Amino acid sequence: MVKEMLTGNFAAAWGARLSGVDYVPAFPITPQTEIIEVISKWVNSGVMDTKFTNMDSEHSMITAAGTAAATGARVFSATSSQGLLYGCEMLYAVAGWRVPFVLINVSRGLSAPITLEPDHNDVLSARDTGLIQLHVETCQEILDTILMAFRIAEDERVFLPVLINMDGFYLSFTREPVEIPGLDEVREFLPEYRPGHAFFLASKPMAQGVAVLGGSVYSYFRYQMHLASSNALRVHNEVAAEFKSIFGRAYSAVEPFKTEDAEYIILMTNSFTVKGKDAVNRFREKGIKVGLVRLRLVRPFPFQELREYLRGKKALAVIDQNISPGSGGILYNEVTSALYHEPNRPGAVLSFIGGLGGKDISLAEFSFILDEMQKSVETGIVPETQLLYTEQDMKNMNNFLNIAGKG
Amino acid sequence: MKRIRFHGRGGQGMKTASRIVGTASFLEGYIAQDCPVYGAERRGAPIQAYTRVSKNPILERGVIVHPDITIIADETLLDDRTANVFQGVYGGTITMINTHYSSAHVRERFGISGKIVTLDMTDIVLTQIGKPVLSSVAAASASKLTGMVTRQSLKEAIVRELFSVDIPKEVVKKNVEAALICFDRTPDIHIDHSEPMKEDNTFVKLEYSGPYLGTPSTYARGNTVLKKTGNWRLFKPVIDHERCSRCRACFVHCPHSCISLDTAGYPRIDYENCKGCLICLEECPKKVILKKREVREW
Ligand code: SF4
Ligand code: SF4
Repeated sequence: MVKEMLTGNFAAAWGARLSGVDYVPAFPITPQTEIIEVISKWVNSGVMDTKFTNMDSEHSMITAAGTAAATGARVFSATSSQGLLYGCEMLYAVAGWRVPFVLINVSRGLSAPITLEPDHNDVLSARDTGLIQLHVETCQEILDTILMAFRIAEDERVFLPVLINMDGFYLSFTREPVEIPGLDEVREFLPEYRPGHAFFLASKPMAQGVAVLGGSVYSYFRYQMHLASSNALRVHNEVAAEFKSIFGRAYSAVEPFKTEDAEYIILMTNSFTVKGKDAVNRFREKGIKVGLVRLRLVRPFPFQELREYLRGKKALAVIDQNISPGSGGILYNEVTSALYHEPNRPGAVLSFIGGLGGKDISLAEFSFILDEMQKSVETGIVPETQLLYTEQDMKNMNNFLNIAGKG
Repeated sequence: MKRIRFHGRGGQGMKTASRIVGTASFLEGYIAQDCPVYGAERRGAPIQAYTRVSKNPILERGVIVHPDITIIADETLLDDRTANVFQGVYGGTITMINTHYSSAHVRERFGISGKIVTLDMTDIVLTQIGKPVLSSVAAASASKLTGMVTRQSLKEAIVRELFSVDIPKEVVKKNVEAALICFDRTPDIHIDHSEPMKEDNTFVKLEYSGPYLGTPSTYARGNTVLKKTGNWRLFKPVIDHERCSRCRACFVHCPHSCISLDTAGYPRIDYENCKGCLICLEECPKKVILKKREVREW
């Protein structure tokens, strides 16, 4: 085991290398590029014994990943933003084939307008594809989650591809200390892949992802995918427990932070949760009982865990780093529906949109969120979805309007 | 209401058959509904089409699970489990099969209930039209069995439907002739009782099945290279090797890769998989490939 300063991208490349992947089909896109560059260098210099193919597009890349996985190869790939959308058609296909592999999405806002910084509309567009989704907070968590993801994907109870989301720039090009576990420890946790169920064998002709007519066959397979995804929650928790016993680091489907005695909870995902935790610490210094919940597993959705952490709270604020135009925050809708049948649910559930396109979420914004929660508890009135946008933001915007000749 | 289900292979004209019966019933003043269901879109794949005919508004749609009349236009489907031609057949169903065999033979071989009628429709169309298209004759049989469609409406419907897909006048005429022969030769039997659709009201809770069962994969012959498709053939291409120049045109053009070359360079046909499309015959510059009508025993 060594500890080094690594970017999130570098940590992802290490995750793939330690996992002993057989095949990496790749297509570069900012801010994912570094993952692919590092892996291709390693393959070229021989430290990584892996087949690497530069594809013509993400659509081909996902197809190649899925077909290779169907032969029993351990496959890794990475993309971002528009690239994920370009490959999206095939995401449904590979999940439908029920083939295990690991795909990283380095979150980046979607066009238009163009940005290179993160929000989560890209990854959430793949929400219903059937891929398992894990959203990570730190560079260490990326590496660790890749090792865990192969275990989940290759488990016979799941057998689905896993998508891991990490924020562009905030993780991809951010360096922080990362523990690189030794290969021996990793092999103990993640042995070489000996597929019990590989579909394609040269000796045995068969058809995969076949056409079915008549809805009952189709319904059966679609529902099997749902059950497989639901199983992944239990498998994740088992795998996380084993990971902790070997590496000492604990991960859960839903990560609570100072929630036990909290009256107010902020719910977030991904790397911006560190800012949320900082805000919680500061509120706590003033004696305000605030906690934070991070949703790490987005698919399958951890209904039960979430209900447990939110039960009996005065108010909950969901910060969505995404926007579903005409509706609001995607996770807000999921969280509120998860709470509907919980008799002891939070008195008010508020919806905020923040951090879009990498826009910072400041302490002032967290204070505003807390004020709004407290107001809602007092008045019983829950406001509509609110955008976290300050006067300073508006000033910046006006400045740009002037530059654009619209002032 | 009468529910008619047509079974055929892509290219045989079952969609058109269902439409002809729909139009004919409509012309008779009934309320009608017709629709096809496609599989993988290629010639030869099993397809189904449906026609409903009723005096009252039709509050049904799509698949006919319990047909009153089934028309099986291709006898090779009887043995194809994926085509499922006897699905939902009940005691009152009339099953019409295009074959030269007698209904007694069919009953004995497949042990099915209900009334069975057989007629060699292929023979009729080859004589009358010269091509194995079965739309008009299948429609004629179905029309007769409903007991609701007259010769006149059938004729009119064939003309309307075939014109709408740009079939030349003289071919339409031949279709009408073939259809009327078929109408007359189809026995005048009718459905004496139509059972109400029985709905399955026992629901199951699906459990997780694991990757082997729970993934959409096929290891059986059904969908793989192991499936022999040569039994669909109506005509068998036979090469006269004495006169063959070994030009390889047939080898290159066979869309199913069924022609290989032997060590001397002569083309050899794989009859296990040759579907009898006769493209090789068309392409042979020396015209040394002949077609031979095949009638199989079953
Ligand atoms: S008829 Fe000729 S071209 Fe057609 S499948 Fe048979 S061999 Fe091939
Ligand atoms: S196309 Fe005709 S002449 Fe040429 S190889 Fe085939 S059978 Fe022989």
